[in-house]
Amino acid sequence: MPYAPKTYKTEAIVLRHFPFGEADYLLTLYTPGRGKVRAVAKGARRIKSKLGGHVEPPMRTSLFMSKGQNLDSVGQAEALEGFRPLREDLQRLSQALYMLELVDAFSQEDQPNYPLYRLTLDSLRSLSQSESENAPPALLPFFQMRILDYTGFRPELQRCVECDEGLEPGLHSFSPGSGGALCDACHPSGVGILPMSLNAIKVLRFLQRETMPSAERLTLEQETLDEVDRLLGSLIRYVLDRDLKSSRFLQQVTVGGSKG
Amino acid sequence: MTYDFLPSVAAPLARLIEEFHKLPGIGPKSAQRLAYYLIRMPAEEARSLAEAVLAVKERVIFCSVCQNITESSPCYLCSHEGRDRSRICVVEEPLDVLSLERTQAYKGLYHVLHGVISPASGIGPDDLRLRELLERLKGNEVGEVILATNPSLEGENTSMYIQRMLAPLGLRVTRLARGLPVGGDLEYADEVTLSRALEGRQEV
Repeated sequence: MPYAPKTYKTEAIVLRHFPFGEADYLLTLYTPGRGKVRAVAKGARRIKSKLGGHVEPPMRTSLFMSKGQNLDSVGQAEALEGFRPLREDLQRLSQALYMLELVDAFSQEDQPNYPLYRLTLDSLRSLSQSESENAPPALLPFFQMRILDYTGFRPELQRCVECDEGLEPGLHSFSPGSGGALCDACHPSGVGILPMSLNAIKVLRFLQRETMPSAERLTLEQETLDEVDRLLGSLIRYVLDRDLKSSRFLQQVTVGGSKG
Repeated sequence: MTYDFLPSVAAPLARLIEEFHKLPGIGPKSAQRLAYYLIRMPAEEARSLAEAVLAVKERVIFCSVCQNITESSPCYLCSHEGRDRSRICVVEEPLDVLSLERTQAYKGLYHVLHGVISPASGIGPDDLRLRELLERLKGNEVGEVILATNPSLEGENTSMYIQRMLAPLGLRVTRLARGLPVGGDLEYADEVTLSRALEGRQEV
């Protein structure tokens, strides 16, 4: 019989944790080689736990894991990157939590997707390292666009999804259901179809084409940013068939400023 | 779970099994075991259990001031004359009040949030007792708010949110120190904890 090891080592980004049993955490991890993994961190909620501080979202951590029948469990953990600036800023933290929920929602257990791991890690670093007071404005739309790309939902923005004609510059529409742009000739109407301005389609194409450093430098008018956010949000909602829980908090923190 | 299809189980027993099954962590087998155990229990013990369950629902309320669980409102701590009314310590759960009281180092008042902001679970600021906290702070009595939420991701998140919410009031807002636990081991400390412990080092 082939030897199947009962333990393995991996690094992982901690996507989320929730209290489990008396003092444990149930973790959702994203690993470079195994995709999403769910695991138990025994005793991690105790104040003196040797695991506790090493398995908090959104840390990147090095893990020694034991395989279990249903769930793997964490034997040893050492935090590699704590992203401390991110954890100490409400605005950035809520963005990071939204990103992590997006990764969780778009990934399956035991389906490795290294580009997605890299994207998540680079985005967390960018959020955490950004020197200005606010995170780069185009980072979140870039992340959304890339995650759609890496999981097979890249929207078509060069040609009309109905008639396959190239798009002329002008006002077009966006159909989340058909996964891309509609030209005016196709008389778009129907549930969920959104207007898409010339600026918005340019920004979306830019996000599809460029790398993260260029996206970080991109500055956008609030109006365009809102529209891009609406378009990408509609596609994500269509693909997942639900709203992300953390998006509401992200909005509260972003729009609300200081409440009270 | 319903026992309609099992006529051999007496109806009152079936009902008890169903009730136990609703409790967290109780599966169908545990529910059956508990129910059959109760049958063998002396009648007065069973009555005492039933009364305790009723009493907890009928007599326990939330304190109108600190939102802690209490028998009378305002609760013992809020109405105690010896407490320092210029300080409010904000905690996540009623059990945290017990832990802090055990230290005997804090003489101020408390505010229980009954939860923590957890965007990933869809728990937002509106689900906590934050409005009640703001109401309490409207008077001029309070000079300091101590944020004593857990040093976990959700606890920090909540603490930052409250900090921002209270900023316009111009109060002194403090946060419990984060660092090394007594009896801990440096080897196992994570970088965030250790760097905070370094920052918060004190003259000896």
